[in-house]
Amino acid sequence: MKPSLLTDHPFGADYAKRLGVPAWNGALPGPKVEEWRFTPLRALTKVSFTPATGVGFDTLPRNIPMIAGAARLVLVNGAYRKTLSTVDLGKGVEVTHGKVAAKEGSSLIALNAAYAPESLVIHVTAKVKKLIHIISIGASGAEPAALHPRITVTAESGAEITLVESHVGLPGQTYFSNPVTSITVGAGATVRRYVSVDEDSAAFHLATSLVKVAGGGTFEAFHLGLGGALVRQEIRVALTGENANVRLNGAYALDGTSHHDFTTLMDHAFPNCTSSQVFKGVVDGESHGVYQGRIHVARDAQKTDARQVHKALFLARGPAIDCKPELEIYADDVQCAHGAATGEIDENQLFYLRSRGIDDATARGLLIEGFLADAMAEIHHEGMRELFTADVTRWLKARRT
Amino acid sequence: MAVTRETAETVKDIEQYKYGFVTDIESDKAPKGLSEDIIRFISAKKNEPEWMLEYRLKAYRYWLTLADEEPTWAKLQFPKIDYQAAYYYAAPKREKLASLDEVDPKLLETYKKLGIPLLEQQMLAGVAVDAVFDSVSVATTYKKKLEEMGVIFSPISEAVHKHPELVKKYLGSVVPYSDNFYATLNAAVFTDGSFVYIPKGLRCPMELSTYFRINEKNTGQFERTLIIADEGSYVSYLEGCTAPQRDENQLHAAVVELIALDNAEIKYSTVQNWYPGDAEGKGGIYNFVTKRGACRGANSKIMWTQVETGSSITWKYPSCILQGDNSVGEFYSVAITNNRQQADTGTKMIHLGKGTRSKIISKGISAGRADNTYRGLVRIGAKADKARNYTQCDSLLIGDKCGAHTVPYIESRNPTATTEHEATTSKISDDQLFYCMQRGMKQEEAVSLIVNGFCKEVLQTLPMEFAVEAQKLVGISLEGSVG
Repeated sequence: MKPSLLTDHPFGADYAKRLGVPAWNGALPGPKVEEWRFTPLRALTKVSFTPATGVGFDTLPRNIPMIAGAARLVLVNGAYRKTLSTVDLGKGVEVTHGKVAAKEGSSLIALNAAYAPESLVIHVTAKVKKLIHIISIGASGAEPAALHPRITVTAESGAEITLVESHVGLPGQTYFSNPVTSITVGAGATVRRYVSVDEDSAAFHLATSLVKVAGGGTFEAFHLGLGGALVRQEIRVALTGENANVRLNGAYALDGTSHHDFTTLMDHAFPNCTSSQVFKGVVDGESHGVYQGRIHVARDAQKTDARQVHKALFLARGPAIDCKPELEIYADDVQCAHGAATGEIDENQLFYLRSRGIDDATARGLLIEGFLADAMAEIHHEGMRELFTADVTRWLKARRT
Repeated sequence: MAVTRETAETVKDIEQYKYGFVTDIESDKAPKGLSEDIIRFISAKKNEPEWMLEYRLKAYRYWLTLADEEPTWAKLQFPKIDYQAAYYYAAPKREKLASLDEVDPKLLETYKKLGIPLLEQQMLAGVAVDAVFDSVSVATTYKKKLEEMGVIFSPISEAVHKHPELVKKYLGSVVPYSDNFYATLNAAVFTDGSFVYIPKGLRCPMELSTYFRINEKNTGQFERTLIIADEGSYVSYLEGCTAPQRDENQLHAAVVELIALDNAEIKYSTVQNWYPGDAEGKGGIYNFVTKRGACRGANSKIMWTQVETGSSITWKYPSCILQGDNSVGEFYSVAITNNRQQADTGTKMIHLGKGTRSKIISKGISAGRADNTYRGLVRIGAKADKARNYTQCDSLLIGDKCGAHTVPYIESRNPTATTEHEATTSKISDDQLFYCMQRGMKQEEAVSLIVNGFCKEVLQTLPMEFAVEAQKLVGISLEGSVG
């Protein structure tokens, strides 16, 4: 069967003309492309997006989350804003920005490569204690805008860094964010990455992360998805050396008509590596939660230990959950497992709390937080765990009102 | 233990495919290729009524529009099939036999070689056998006895004449002619198969069984099976297959439809052991099967059990549509691939009614250079309150040149439903192997024992006659995979 493609998207010649760059001749994946079967992009092609131009604000808008003590790097509509960022990041980390080169991989990466203004480049050479907080802001003008942030992180051998990424927008605007993040974890290096996607309810966010982890390297990531009309966080991790260790986790909480998709690929190419994934989600209103994760273990990747769990909780009649955990194994001496479950709040647990005098809403809130806590517990950075937990609590409260 | 010893002995005895021989019986063939004329020929040969021919032609015309729709999503690799290079009708020369005595002695000899002595089986096992030799049902036994009880168990070609109202009502009602590329092809050219109707309230007193066998060179096999269990009835149906050795790949595209009405239960068991090709993957059967059951009535139940050890390519997803409230679907599968075999198999459980339950137990074993994929769908509809699914898929890898893959889809639209999916992939543990060998077992015996243990949950659901054969097959199929 021929895969269907969406060619009638708004990112063609007119779009390129406004930017003064060569046009992107690619197509967006259609509903019959297997990787996109749960996340149709038709809605994206119905909005006439224009390139996001720099919106000048000298101080950050008030809805932008701040992390005390963290160094800040701000991207507005994909462009690095030095005036809003921390300039001196201290020893061991250097920030530059430059033109995007590679056009590897999917059509979304190609789209980003065609129109990204330049890449934010973070080069880490030592163990860095300070949190680096990258804030990507989508700010449309009068028309719906598209932005293509590009972030490149390289951690040299033995280096260590903790990155936080917040993807937010100015309230009440329709925009499309198409970020691509490339991360290279050097031999024996450690990169921790905590991503929060809390876009406005009319926003589209289709993010691709490409991670390479060298031998003995550690990559720990947590992705939180709290909002947006159509959000996909696609994370592709390649373990490119022996004894690499990856922990990739995430949680989503959706209401209204939000659509959120976690798509992961864990590519084990070398022996003696481990990877684990824990993803949990709650869905309310008429939202749609998607998890599709593939573990690929190559012929040579003996002694691999790869695990993957996705669990989703319904909070109402109306939402949908689609899940596709996939194992593709070519090596025999491996331990690979995955699990998936969907259901609603256990009535016995609810009764237990209610019988102890806790009102229904609070009891449900506790159980939801408890459900997500499994995933949140995978955030090893204590401060970030608290921050993300607070975000979820805030979401719960907003939901209840 | 006795069975294990037997398995081990069989493994020793058999150095190559046991069932590889061609019986020399003349066939009455239609010319090669596929066209409306061929379909008219098949239909005329079977003396079919007009409506049946119309159905076939409708399917054929639709199939012509599917030229680009041959499924490619499965994890299977095979050269493009030339559908014009196959024969679509082949039947043993002599037809319409009154009794077993009239059956070609050569044919009976074939069954004997296969270890399926027809007569013996009738007497000892109490199994009514509807033997399909190539495309025409040759012998139907125990028919009278069943007829007295109101059970209809006949070739579908006969049912078309004798029970057109039932065939018209149910044929294509679970797998419509437009369902998929292979099912559409089947609807156009199917030659024969079994038709079963169990009347209200009857518990069919014996296991119904059909042995399929592909014999004619270059003959695509297009079986069509339709089983209807009326309210409150029960039937257990067995299907088993073996095929002679040959070099060309053979296409097999069967369609099986099951319908269970209120409180009815259908148990459908398959042991599939067609020629898997040689060690280099040459020859072997292409098995593209559409099997689907509809639990139409409340509290109905359909249970699929399959042991898939043969064929070079297996593309098969026995499924259940759980329409009736509180209906139950179960799928138990053992799929073994060795050498260059490829299997992409699994199930679909479509929950539509309230309180529907499904259970999937799949065991995939991959050895040699084979690839084995579980592909399954669990869909919970918005109205399927309190639906329940449990899925367990385990894969075992033997050797470092094979692959085992798991591709489950879980789509839930109802908050009160619960779905659970677990899957593991591992190899035979060295400790287990060491334990067995330390006690004097040969490595192959040990592997067979351990693998039989791995599959036990599935094999247990087979009827007795099949369970023994299946256990043997598990051992035979893995022959040469270790050591």
